[in-house]
Amino acid sequence: MRPSKLLIANRGEIAVRIARTCRAMSVPTVAVYSEADRDALHVRECDEARLIGPAEAAHSYLNIDTLVDAARHSGADAVHPGYGFLSESAAFAAAVRDAGLTFVGPPAEVHECMGDKARARRLMVRAGVPVLPGYDGSDQADATLRAEAEKLGWPLMIKPSRGGGGKGMRVVFGAVGFDSAVQTSRREALAAFGNEDLVLERFVERPRHVEVQVLADAEGEIVHLYERECSIQRRHQKVIEETPSPALTEALRSELCEAALVAARAAAYRNAGTVEFLFEPGGKFYFLEMNTRLQVEHAITEALTGLDLVRLQLEIAAGSAIPFEQGDVVSRGHALECRIYAEDPSRDDLPCPGQILHLVVPEGPGVRFDSGIGVGSHVTIHYDPMLAKLITWGNDRNELLERTDAALRQTVVLGVTTNLARLRKIVEHAAFREGALHTGFIDEQIADLSATRSELPPEALAAAAAASYGLRPDRSSMETAGQSSSSAADPWSELGGWRLGSSGAGRE
Amino acid sequence: MRRLRCGDAEAHAVDVRREKDSIHVMIDGAVHRLDVSAVAPGVFVLRRDVGVEVFHCVRDGGTVHLSWRGDTYRIEEEGEERRVSARPTSDALEAPMPGKVIKVCVEVGQEVAKGEEILVVEAMKMENALRAPRAGRIIAIDTHVGAAVAPGRILVQLGDAGRESSSPLVTPQQEE
Repeated sequence: MRPSKLLIANRGEIAVRIARTCRAMSVPTVAVYSEADRDALHVRECDEARLIGPAEAAHSYLNIDTLVDAARHSGADAVHPGYGFLSESAAFAAAVRDAGLTFVGPPAEVHECMGDKARARRLMVRAGVPVLPGYDGSDQADATLRAEAEKLGWPLMIKPSRGGGGKGMRVVFGAVGFDSAVQTSRREALAAFGNEDLVLERFVERPRHVEVQVLADAEGEIVHLYERECSIQRRHQKVIEETPSPALTEALRSELCEAALVAARAAAYRNAGTVEFLFEPGGKFYFLEMNTRLQVEHAITEALTGLDLVRLQLEIAAGSAIPFEQGDVVSRGHALECRIYAEDPSRDDLPCPGQILHLVVPEGPGVRFDSGIGVGSHVTIHYDPMLAKLITWGNDRNELLERTDAALRQTVVLGVTTNLARLRKIVEHAAFREGALHTGFIDEQIADLSATRSELPPEALAAAAAASYGLRPDRSSMETAGQSSSSAADPWSELGGWRLGSSGAGRE
Repeated sequence: MRRLRCGDAEAHAVDVRREKDSIHVMIDGAVHRLDVSAVAPGVFVLRRDVGVEVFHCVRDGGTVHLSWRGDTYRIEEEGEERRVSARPTSDALEAPMPGKVIKVCVEVGQEVAKGEEILVVEAMKMENALRAPRAGRIIAIDTHVGAAVAPGRILVQLGDAGRESSSPLVTPQQEE
């Protein structure tokens, strides 16, 4: 079973990636786009496209009514939310369902429960899934929080109950700063999530972040697709993910995956989801949260298992059972994802909008490149700065890292500043090679990782000058010289041996 | 003759001349002879005695974007670069990137400590705080919450603390 027509309520690389699976499945797709995305790649990759509003996400990609209307009017019978935007919104899942359409993801009730960190914690405690020592009560009085904090000990972490993305989160090292930290977190939580409830948890230093992919169908059948380690982060956002996690022994891996199944069962989970765990350096793990959507990093799981998670999501949403059993799931080799962002690591990861002027996509054995951009694409200030994901696979971790390094060197993005050089530095870093990862890796190695960018070698400057001013194929002169295509100044007439549709010697 | 600059390095005097079978590039008086040809838009081949080197290069106005052996460089023609980002004095706080001002934390006349948050610009889902580069007194604010700002746009002027500033304001350049 599969949808007869799918509206993709997202943009960028994930919309493109979902559209590609749909094309393979012969499921017609409807793209939605804001005024800033008229010429975006995801619009071209879908069969139809609908304008949903101005550039600001709040009035376009986050507008539930407009999106549901677009789905209804286009005749779609299912909606895929992608990740980010409304993917974990209970209100959106409910609105899609109430319109008589299929939401590709878990039902609204699951979003609601897992979106509340305190509730999710209490649920996991009841189910026997380990959680960090902490306070998740509904009594949020100042005195109660202070008393619970004293009981818990220092340092501890303050988290907004409805939070995400690091907003409002704070580490407190002692009683002195606690009260003011609570006030600030409350304020930030209220502004960002419309709710000021807080959760207190013991703070773990240099933790690893390991998550487990799960899949559940309408019959309640649940399988796991093993883990992904996502410890390489900046500003609480993942940069590099890998699977299998170098931190796990086989015994620990089964224990972790089993805990994820228990968590998913307790949540009455449906469709694809991810259970996130925090790993202490000693190897103890704790439930962190459940992501009720497809993850950015799902492709490394696909590389190991050979499964297409979007296809499975669509089939499960349409009512199919999971077409295999836990014992059939294979996990072969190692895989890594590098997120390519339009940002400048040498300037505090400042986002760098602009236009893509040139793009070289890496190729080779075990290389996959999921991107939302092409030459000419505008990277605007309105949305997330992630441009593309490089997903690499190897028979073992060493082959994987060699392939990743080669693929990163092959990748060229001109026009906007990217984090490509930093990704290479991380992958080449001795500690990374050893698998000694933790969530503070980038910050701790920051001196190494943002080391002064290499000086432009004279030969490179000479080559650039020759290419730009010696051959005359630059953008400005192309237009003026366009008329005289046979003139000696035209670089294309000087390209010996390069002809379109050439039937030269040696060609069969 | 052009003056080309990459990052914070010194600008180089560069002159390019086409000869019969090579291109002569003079950099600060030293001549490099190169056999360079274009193989596709933005893709070039540099032929050497032994082997070839592929590099990627796109010129966009006064900026040359170069990818050389896996590293990316932005080379600016001087004059052009000056125009785009005339370095303001340390007392003029400029927008670090295009975005929207979502918070102004100070008022004119207010004294600020070094590192204190002045305002917050949001772009691409991220909030970036503009902080005081030194202790001082805010002498002008030329933006407001909700304003769209371009990079380099001067948003706030910082004067010395402890005395009312009577120094004439540098008129912030208006940019679209």
